Amino acid sequence: MKNFKIDHRTNNGLEVLDLHGELDAHTASQLEDALKQLISHKKSYIIVNFHQLEYIASAGLGVFMAYIEDVRSIGGDIKLTNMNDKVFNVFDLLGFPTLYDILEDEESAVNKFLKELS
Amino acid sequence: MNRSSKNNQQTSFELKTVLETSRMLVESRDPDFIINSLLLIIMGRLLVSKAAIFIFDPAQDCYCLKKSKGFDGLNEQQFYKIITRKEQQNVSYFTSDFVHPEFPQVISEPEKSIFINLRTSNNHHGFLLLAAKANNTPYRKEELEFAEALCIISTSALVNSQLFNELNNTYRNLDRRIHELNTLFDLSKEFNFLVDREKIASIFKFALLGQLFIRIFFLIYKNQDSYSLLAASGLSGKPTDKQLKTIFDAIKSDVVIPDSELLKQHSWIQKNKIASFISVSFQNEKVAVIGVGERANKIPFTENDYNFLKSLSNLAVISIQKTYFLDERIDKERMEEELSIAKSIQQGLMPDPIPQIEGIDLAAKTISSREVGGDYFDIAKSPDGNTIFSIADVTGKGVPAALLMANLQSMLHVLLPVDITLAEATDRINMIIFKNTPPDKFITFFWAKYVSTHKLLRYVNAGHNPPLLLRDQSEEFETLTQGGLLLGAMESIMPYEQADIQLNPNDVLVCHTDGVEEAMDEETDEEYGTERLKECIRKNRHKTSNEILEAIVEDVKRYSGNKLGDDLTLLILKASDSISE
Repeated sequence: MKNFKIDHRTNNGLEVLDLHGELDAHTASQLEDALKQLISHKKSYIIVNFHQLEYIASAGLGVFMAYIEDVRSIGGDIKLTNMNDKVFNVFDLLGFPTLYDILEDEESAVNKFLKELS
Repeated sequence: MNRSSKNNQQTSFELKTVLETSRMLVESRDPDFIINSLLLIIMGRLLVSKAAIFIFDPAQDCYCLKKSKGFDGLNEQQFYKIITRKEQQNVSYFTSDFVHPEFPQVISEPEKSIFINLRTSNNHHGFLLLAAKANNTPYRKEELEFAEALCIISTSALVNSQLFNELNNTYRNLDRRIHELNTLFDLSKEFNFLVDREKIASIFKFALLGQLFIRIFFLIYKNQDSYSLLAASGLSGKPTDKQLKTIFDAIKSDVVIPDSELLKQHSWIQKNKIASFISVSFQNEKVAVIGVGERANKIPFTENDYNFLKSLSNLAVISIQKTYFLDERIDKERMEEELSIAKSIQQGLMPDPIPQIEGIDLAAKTISSREVGGDYFDIAKSPDGNTIFSIADVTGKGVPAALLMANLQSMLHVLLPVDITLAEATDRINMIIFKNTPPDKFITFFWAKYVSTHKLLRYVNAGHNPPLLLRDQSEEFETLTQGGLLLGAMESIMPYEQADIQLNPNDVLVCHTDGVEEAMDEETDEEYGTERLKECIRKNRHKTSNEILEAIVEDVKRYSGNKLGDDLTLLILKASDSISE
């Protein structure tokens, strides 16, 4: 199993989570913890960068379902970027593009956030 | 420019249009784009201001309006009757004065308006309706040929795009199923290693949220008679214990879609927008209820979704149940371990080995039917150099009886050095036990002091089975009954009495608890009883006390088929025929 890891940084004052490795049933709780922590600090403009993520299981997608409303209810959003085809296919298959902003790259997400905020 | 060259130019232009259009349409996989393009090209080329496309629906046997431009009174996605005779599906076109009488009156010049067949080489798919030309000239033959050619190409493209979309859908459905199976497979692997039920419930929750694209979820698990919310997401407010129970009880089959009745009775379900319930049962016993909200994109759940929901729920609930079983086993093992420690403590409270007493051949033994029991015997030296024997039976069995027995043991040893009579000491013990134990707990108790210089046995019997004394040369038993009430039943009103008996050589005194007489022969449903005990003593009276004891135990075990229902204790004194030094 490829090790799953989350790095946290900021970009233009927005929170960025970089996901690495494989996000499965076992590692989903780590993503949950990271999102919970951001929400508890009222940091609600969140970009999740999938560039280094190789695999995602349903439980990983479930974490996004569980927290999107919490983030939006405090005025923020979670935008997803830089997915490889395999990962995007899973999101697409289960209908996520209707609910989530899934963007080509982090820059687009930053621009979109800044536009929404202005 | 002469007429024929103009015609040629026109023809080549139209050919080019047909070619370009066909390339564009064939490459497109979007039916809306194809329909729209067909309309626009024909309207532009033939100077038509009103046109519409109808697609045949064999199930309804009429035509669905897909796209309309310029017509008032025609609604897209509605169904219309167009033909009156089946043969109209086989002609290239017909003028609209042949349209079905129920077709709306939206065509102003029916004889100049036409329905062009949308068909492939063997199938009819619909009609392109063209109103009269804007300049009111009739359609020329070449124009109709051009339109017909475009229609054929477009229809093929349409059929292809439908096929492509169907294939694509099939492929995506297949992909979804594979993904579901992967999820099931992954989770079954994951659950195998987990013993933390909260973690199992959490993974189950996330997998469902992700796979079904839902936000609202809860899992109620019933263990014995308590209902717990093991996982939840997106609920507004935490349900109370009472709500958990009523919702759990309201779900009566494996898949429940709430109807108005259920919603009326449980406002909580409505408030939280629960769309479906799944209940999981094992051996006809409902153990879990799972609720899910609607899909975030509002697409209703399919049969497949429910199957997936059921499979995953079963998998998770089995794993959760396993953790409860594991807890129970750990509890049981801990209890067993504690009981075995208690047993060794209890054994330590009774004398081992049995001490040697001058002038007395002594044997004593207790056999517990459980790990710990309520039988007790003791042998101790009193401060005046004599020996105290005691035997007792605490009501009940197991741990409560063992606790009371330990209490009695400590009282005896505290009172031993105090210079009071046996009767007075019995009084005090009774008072303490009466005060400190519930009224249904009491002890039958016999104790005696053997004064070796006088070969005298002074005893008090507090409600215990009377010890049996078989005098040398006698066939009849005497019983030692003097004393008073059993211990702990009531306050001492009458003082306990003590009595003295002389012990002569070869007299045998057998003290026992009721486990001896009450041993059962399961086949005849008859107790061992006092007579059998007496007979056994008589038969073995010439043996040592130890041999007599073993003979009795052997006889009782044989009688009861080795199934002792109660604790069994024997204390046997046999006066020696000469004082040994």
